[in-house]
Amino acid sequence: MGVTKVVEIPITLEIPVGPQHPALHEPLMLKVYADGEDVIRVDINTGYNHRGVEKLCEKNNFYQNIFLCGRVCGICNTVHANCYTRAVEYVLDIDPPRRAKYLRVLAMELERIHSHMIINAIMAEILGFDTLFMYIMRDREKIMKAKEILTGNRVLADYMMIGGVRRDVDEVKKDRIKKLLDSIEPDVRYYKKVFEEDDTILKRLVDVGVIKPRDITLHGLLGPTARGSGIEIDVRAGDRYDAYDEVPFNVVVRKEMDSWARMMVRWEETLESINMCRYVLEHLPSDGPAVPDERRLPRRFPEGESFARVEAPRGELTYYVYSVGKQIPYRVKIRTPSFNNIINSGFTYIGYSIADVPVILTSYDPCIACMERAVVIDLESGVRKLVSLRTIVKGGV
Amino acid sequence: MGREKLISYSPWLAHFNTGACNGCDIEVLAALTPLYDPERFGVKLAPSIRYADILVVTGAVTKKAGERLKRIYEQMPNPKYVIAVGACACDGGVFRGSYSVFEGVDKVIPVDIYVPGCPPRPEAILDAIVSLVLKLRKGG
Amino acid sequence: MEVPEKLEFLSKFIKKAYSLKPNRVVLEFDRENVRELFKLLLENLGETGFYLAVIEGTDFPDKNMFRLDYYVITHPDREVYVFRTWLPRDNPHIDTVVDFIPAAYSGECETYDLLGIVFDGNKYLKRGFFVPKDVYEKGVYPLRKEFKLRKGV
Repeated sequence: MGVTKVVEIPITLEIPVGPQHPALHEPLMLKVYADGEDVIRVDINTGYNHRGVEKLCEKNNFYQNIFLCGRVCGICNTVHANCYTRAVEYVLDIDPPRRAKYLRVLAMELERIHSHMIINAIMAEILGFDTLFMYIMRDREKIMKAKEILTGNRVLADYMMIGGVRRDVDEVKKDRIKKLLDSIEPDVRYYKKVFEEDDTILKRLVDVGVIKPRDITLHGLLGPTARGSGIEIDVRAGDRYDAYDEVPFNVVVRKEMDSWARMMVRWEETLESINMCRYVLEHLPSDGPAVPDERRLPRRFPEGESFARVEAPRGELTYYVYSVGKQIPYRVKIRTPSFNNIINSGFTYIGYSIADVPVILTSYDPCIACMERAVVIDLESGVRKLVSLRTIVKGGV
Repeated sequence: MGREKLISYSPWLAHFNTGACNGCDIEVLAALTPLYDPERFGVKLAPSIRYADILVVTGAVTKKAGERLKRIYEQMPNPKYVIAVGACACDGGVFRGSYSVFEGVDKVIPVDIYVPGCPPRPEAILDAIVSLVLKLRKGG
Repeated sequence: MEVPEKLEFLSKFIKKAYSLKPNRVVLEFDRENVRELFKLLLENLGETGFYLAVIEGTDFPDKNMFRLDYYVITHPDREVYVFRTWLPRDNPHIDTVVDFIPAAYSGECETYDLLGIVFDGNKYLKRGFFVPKDVYEKGVYPLRKEFKLRKGV
């Protein structure tokens, strides 16, 4: 039994690379070695994208870094900005008012909904379900509208500030967001039903990419990938940061351990997030100004170090900030969830067929939207050809 | 001269991400969905780079991706045009000064239209494509 | 500060314990004991009792040391422990733990490429894991403090 085919899949990932990475695009190359159709080895080659964010953070001051860290990943920019802001607030020993904390939770949960919807749409597209992809993307626009009403921008919110948030909400905005949430809930329930009952989806996702619980913790896999295999790790329940100690929610865990379980965890979490957003809108406290006075923000940063964690849509995201009393940080370390989930998961493809590789990869939630062309090298005939991921999934190599 | 006018009736796009945060990429992806309806301009995503007329580039070009960008640009048949989407593609954006980026797409390949924004709205991206198309129809 | 009760079995390796904001516990140990320490963690907490979340290195040229942190998070009680060790700057070697804790693969490769800390026994270490070619060809490590970004931006 030897290697007869090599498939190189370039994907874009939200991986922090190098001294300042975040969000890679084409940074990762999966090199799949196959004997016939069976995968026998997968190498993960990194190093395509590296923007040097961590080094840039040491050059900017603490306030400028809020904007830089939000641009590590555009899809989950709110959680990046939130984690960095909270790490700095721990160093400063500042506690924002509860109203600001509730608004932060609202922004992060809206982001979770849109991120889960986009990866499920991409999974549908890879399986050949173009119509489902278009439907989910159309309904996702409602959440982008809600994000725009809350933060002023569709994608990059730049909503977090040290000591609070940048904009407040009034009754009109609350009403509009509530209406959008009410209109999207039946859509999400419908899509969840499609994923539970459709034959094609079930055939391609069930029992594909099974990861046992001991492999999850030994390899450090996080987020819905871990929760789909029964390991209940969720930073919102662990650290109870911002308003998560007051907003009720359930941690969604499934026992099936396969790709289907991972996608279902995401749909169920979307429904949980819709309920959390509603709770926040109904119970918004008025204990203090949500927007801090910019002129009163601290100029001197004391010495100290802090380690903040946040539950990004993809898993646990961590920021470490070390200040030595100057206006610029001494060290900022960012570890995104895809760094662990994608780089450490090479073992999960072994034993499955080449057609399953893009499906398993998409179930870990990389940003696979754009670079979709893979190079297939047939070692026996010596032929190299460019093939789209969709064709691989249909078994066309 | 006539070739430019011909492709303006149905320009096909190729999209390439050179190290972006994916914010601009999901807005480019959104611009191709029914809500914004790009197909009324004849705009769709080309199945391969050899069929593309317009190259849409996002991201502050990282050094490794820059080599691929040059190769992709050379593979496109003439006439070809480049749209740089987002602040990072225009001049490096927040990543100016980093040791691992070329600051902007125009440091690697010639650019026809710049779309500023972080990220620009899908309407702005479509607007850029439409202005390019109108310019071509008038004869370049 | 005391070594927490849950990690009593590690007391013989822990030289110092203090807190890190907001409520994490830092435990300092010597670099020679890194493999023993993690083997004991596996034995006592079990394979699903914890996961290695982050490996982080920092450069302190004024102390002539590198500082290496291993962030371990336990499950299901969700506590965060930081195992901290110091390496001399002219000999930044430490044993790898990737053979029995595969989660260390990503962190060790990244720290080697960016900072130059060598994890002995890890055969996957290589330059260019993240750093672009024109930087690593000069043999420099970007996260070290002597590496400067260009001015005037």
